Amino acid sequence: MSNILNYIWLVPLFPLIGFLINGLGRNFLSKTLVSFIACGALLASFVVSVYFFISVKEGNHELVKLFDFISVGKLSIPFEFQIDALSSLFLLIITGVGFLIHLYSTAYMHEESNAHYARYFAYLNLFVFSMLLLVLGGNYVIMFIGWEGVGLCSYLLIGYWFKNTDYNNAAKKAFIMNRIGDLGFLLAVFWIIQQFGSVSFGEVFANAESKSTAVLTGITLLLFIGATGKSAQIPLYTWLPDAMAGPTPVSALIHAATMVTAGIYMIARSNILYTLAPTTQSVVAVIGLATAIFAATIAIKQNDIKKVLAYSTVSQLGYMFLGLGVGAYTGAVFHVMTHAFFKALLFLGAGSVIHAMHHEQDIRNMGGLRKKLPITHLTFLLGCIAIAGIPPFSGFFSKDEILAAAYEASPVYWIVGVAGAMMTAFYMFRLYATTFLGNFRGTKEQEHHLHESPWAMTVPLIVLAILAVIGGFVGIPKVFAENAHSLEHFLSPIFTQSEELVKKDHALSHSTEYMLMGVSVALALIAILYAVNRYSKKPELQDAEGFGKVLANKWYVDEIYDAIISKPLKAISIFFNNVIEKSGIDGFVNGIGEGVQYASRQLRLLQSGQVGSYILLMVLGMIILMVVQFFIK
Amino acid sequence: MMQPGLYHLLFISAALFFIGVYGFLTRRNLITMLMSVELILNSVNLNFIAFNKYVWPQRLDGVFFTVFVIAIAAAEAAVAIAIIINLYRSHQSIDVENAEELKY
Amino acid sequence: MNVIVLSAVWGVVMMFSGLFIADKSKAKYVAIAGLLVLLVANYFDLHHKFLFASSIGNMLQFESFGMIFVTIALLSTLLYVLLSGAAVEKVGNHAYEYFALLFFVLCGVGIAASYNNLLMLFLGIEIMSIPLYILTGADKRNLKSNEASLKYFLMGSFSTGIMLLGIVLLYGATGTFNLVIPAVSKASENMMVSAGIVLLAIALAFKVSAAPFHFWTPDVYDGAPTVFTSFMATVVKVAGFIAFVRLFENAFGGMTDVWQYTIALIIAATLIAGNITAVFQQSVKRMLAYSSISQAGFMLFAVYSVNAFAKEGILLYAAAYCLATIGIFAVLIKMKDFTFEGFNGLAKQQPLLALLVSIFVLSLAGIPLTAGFLSKYYMVLASIKAGGLLWLIITAMLCAAVSVYYYFRLIQAMYFKEGDANAIDVNPRFKALLVVAAVLIILLGVYPNALLLDWFHIL
Repeated sequence: MSNILNYIWLVPLFPLIGFLINGLGRNFLSKTLVSFIACGALLASFVVSVYFFISVKEGNHELVKLFDFISVGKLSIPFEFQIDALSSLFLLIITGVGFLIHLYSTAYMHEESNAHYARYFAYLNLFVFSMLLLVLGGNYVIMFIGWEGVGLCSYLLIGYWFKNTDYNNAAKKAFIMNRIGDLGFLLAVFWIIQQFGSVSFGEVFANAESKSTAVLTGITLLLFIGATGKSAQIPLYTWLPDAMAGPTPVSALIHAATMVTAGIYMIARSNILYTLAPTTQSVVAVIGLATAIFAATIAIKQNDIKKVLAYSTVSQLGYMFLGLGVGAYTGAVFHVMTHAFFKALLFLGAGSVIHAMHHEQDIRNMGGLRKKLPITHLTFLLGCIAIAGIPPFSGFFSKDEILAAAYEASPVYWIVGVAGAMMTAFYMFRLYATTFLGNFRGTKEQEHHLHESPWAMTVPLIVLAILAVIGGFVGIPKVFAENAHSLEHFLSPIFTQSEELVKKDHALSHSTEYMLMGVSVALALIAILYAVNRYSKKPELQDAEGFGKVLANKWYVDEIYDAIISKPLKAISIFFNNVIEKSGIDGFVNGIGEGVQYASRQLRLLQSGQVGSYILLMVLGMIILMVVQFFIK
Repeated sequence: MMQPGLYHLLFISAALFFIGVYGFLTRRNLITMLMSVELILNSVNLNFIAFNKYVWPQRLDGVFFTVFVIAIAAAEAAVAIAIIINLYRSHQSIDVENAEELKY
Repeated sequence: MNVIVLSAVWGVVMMFSGLFIADKSKAKYVAIAGLLVLLVANYFDLHHKFLFASSIGNMLQFESFGMIFVTIALLSTLLYVLLSGAAVEKVGNHAYEYFALLFFVLCGVGIAASYNNLLMLFLGIEIMSIPLYILTGADKRNLKSNEASLKYFLMGSFSTGIMLLGIVLLYGATGTFNLVIPAVSKASENMMVSAGIVLLAIALAFKVSAAPFHFWTPDVYDGAPTVFTSFMATVVKVAGFIAFVRLFENAFGGMTDVWQYTIALIIAATLIAGNITAVFQQSVKRMLAYSSISQAGFMLFAVYSVNAFAKEGILLYAAAYCLATIGIFAVLIKMKDFTFEGFNGLAKQQPLLALLVSIFVLSLAGIPLTAGFLSKYYMVLASIKAGGLLWLIITAMLCAAVSVYYYFRLIQAMYFKEGDANAIDVNPRFKALLVVAAVLIILLGVYPNALLLDWFHIL
């Protein structure tokens, strides 16, 4: 065994150091120094990660126990890191994309004051640290620490501009929605401890087959509730669009590329448990699919550039869950990877646009930016093609893999999935056409200031664009070439146990697969052509009407939640406050207090000040004690 | 003529004790109360001597204890008289009801 | 033995130095010197080196438990004199005599901590009490002082009578005053022993102000000059407990079934009477009197359970309680107004004093990290080890909760009420001493073994 993997703690160490330096020194470090430290930490992490990745690729994996964390009775929870194919792949995505976004941020956040600038990077570093902890954790508890850590950082960064009440509310919403999910996760961890007597992945998975399906279904459902919170699935997805209140690079890093995929990572990690619980798998697939199509419909009518991308993220995450639900774990992880590339690219591109437009986010006030922002335009276009699933761009391969697996499970999944994919192509190119094509519709002043972004922003765009284009080639399906799916090969040790359990008796015939691909690509192309054709000339400037209005208002889900959850809760809490608290509990507590006071007032009357009565009481006391002593005891 | 025995003495002693307690409870004159206390102590003294003479005649423990009790009683009486005189100075009276200001 | 003799001698020295030193403000220095001498004497006592090689025919026995308590008592007295010595001199014209009386009390404390014979118990308790009657009435022009002294005397002498009756019954049944009681067989003798024990318990309960024999306490503590209340409520009261514990362990430890239930009743009555009545008090001084009753309730657990935990616990309790109470009284003496309102806003005027008083109060209330918490814990633990009654322990817990109410009223007054309370005549030395006391309380709460209990086992 290679000992080099024992140094895996180096990876999260760098961001932690960066966080400490920037966080503690925020009042006296210069912006240059801050950005140097923050980006340097990420770069160092990335380099080390690449090194470990190569080592893992050679077939190494290691469980590194750092120290005993919790030791109670028979239960021992060590602080351990698991480095294998899955976690090393995520390491690369997190540190790589993370580094690019850090770099991008140095330019994007340049207008902030020194202390706030440092605060931003400190949070960002802390986020990366927590995310790495989540991914590297060798058991559910360490994972949960990272899980909570990223939730906290997400909260801090959404509310980064904390003087704006709306942003604070968005941060709170994100935190609360996440907490609901976390509760599920936590209960699952307790249940796992109760059932398995351990939380280490290795031990849990090794013993999973000996447990009853009911228990596993319960545990996996609870874990999935955690995942719906963190990965923004129905019904807990509403926080993610609101989370766009944070700075755009944050949206790119946390709310597109990394944190929201934590749920997928967790389920992929626990794939054996899910494979053994088919009921949960169906639930996961249905919820994922519903989210995918539901969020896509909303995205069609959004006019805020970031909101479109946010709903698109929710929708794409739905595809990943669909993949997990139908057992295409590799496909889901593959889509996580490609999605990280093109969605980060799209967010950063959007950030570049917003930057150029001086914090204008409404696409109705844009248009014709193609000429002013050539690099942004080109990279954004590539990102759009990638997400639309046009071959040979990366999105095609990963989405196709999921859809093919879905067809295997049920053709209905596939039909709905393809409909969603078509919508994806449509709203993405609606966004693209409205923003970059046609004529500029903003103010003169904005037009005057339009400029391409500095290199620190364009370089990450270019790098990500390249990845978005070629990223798919690690997962070329079998129909094109045998053994070309290097990702599947790489990840196979993680999913072997699951695959052995589900012996695939029939694979899709090549002709069917070609047909499926053809249909989905054709539909996407039609949607693209229609969208470009329609919105480049005559963008949708009025507020939507009729059914469109329902979509524009996100199916009124927030309002529905408000009406069926928040308002009744408020009513109950008012009831509890006014009736049960005031007259019940307060009455009881105050009653005791008053009772004691009353007793005190009465009892002190014994203290009459008369020696005679004192002596009398003492004699009475003596008599009572004597009676007790000799007659009662 | 009947020789007084242990139980006679114990009876007298008990009677003295309760007379003392009664006096202590009912009297308001401080000097009388002081006398009641002395009565209690002396009833105990009588007890000591009675036990010593009739039950444990080998040694004079009880008698000596009595001597100590008398000494202590004298000391107490001295202090008591001083306190009573001080009270008399302020109230021109030695009624215990003058001393009922501290209460509750 | 050394402490007993030397404290009596130093009492006389104090009286005579009053004749030769005209300046009464020197009295406290003579007293401090005397206390230092006594501490040295106590050191020799602890190591069984006696200047006066006599145990008076085995009537005294110098075991480490009692001797360590004497150390605590002497150190407490030293702290007390350092903090409040000046206040003693202000009570009246006879500063040297007051200190002399304090030394005589210490002589009684020494006897109460080492008696091995009921005669010595009687003498020790009386030597402690009689000087206190005088000290209580020391403020001769103050009617309340007079009244307190009178009440103290009347009830004290009554309890003396009860104690003597108890002793005489034991004597009648066994023919000896020694603590080692020979077995009795006859039913009448058994009854006499049983009654004697109860009467002794009642007399000692009176001395430690346990209900229902506590009625003198609030009035006497309230009426006595505050500086002497401080001494009475701490050193003397705790000495009573040591006498109590020693008697019930050494003499009656083998027949717990005879008296344990009676003591349990006394504990419950004490806890309830002390805590409940304290709630309604308006004067801090009087509240502290009731608080001392409720603390007595907890200390009585040591008598109830007479085991190793109880002995360790009562030593710890003695130290914790003396430190905290002396500290609070030292501040109280400096206040103009003894009511709770009198403390309003003290935190603004004297933040350090307010903080220190808070620590003392928290310790008395038994909040963790203070010695008060640990000593209460020891008490309850000891009673559980002794097969404690569940209802008794529950009562104790509930009463501890009630006690938080009146203790925190003081903190509330200092910190959360508007007012211009100020302590007069506070110098840095005074504050430094209080800080030492507070630090000791916390250290005792954290390292009780190293500071105190280990000595008990070593010596």
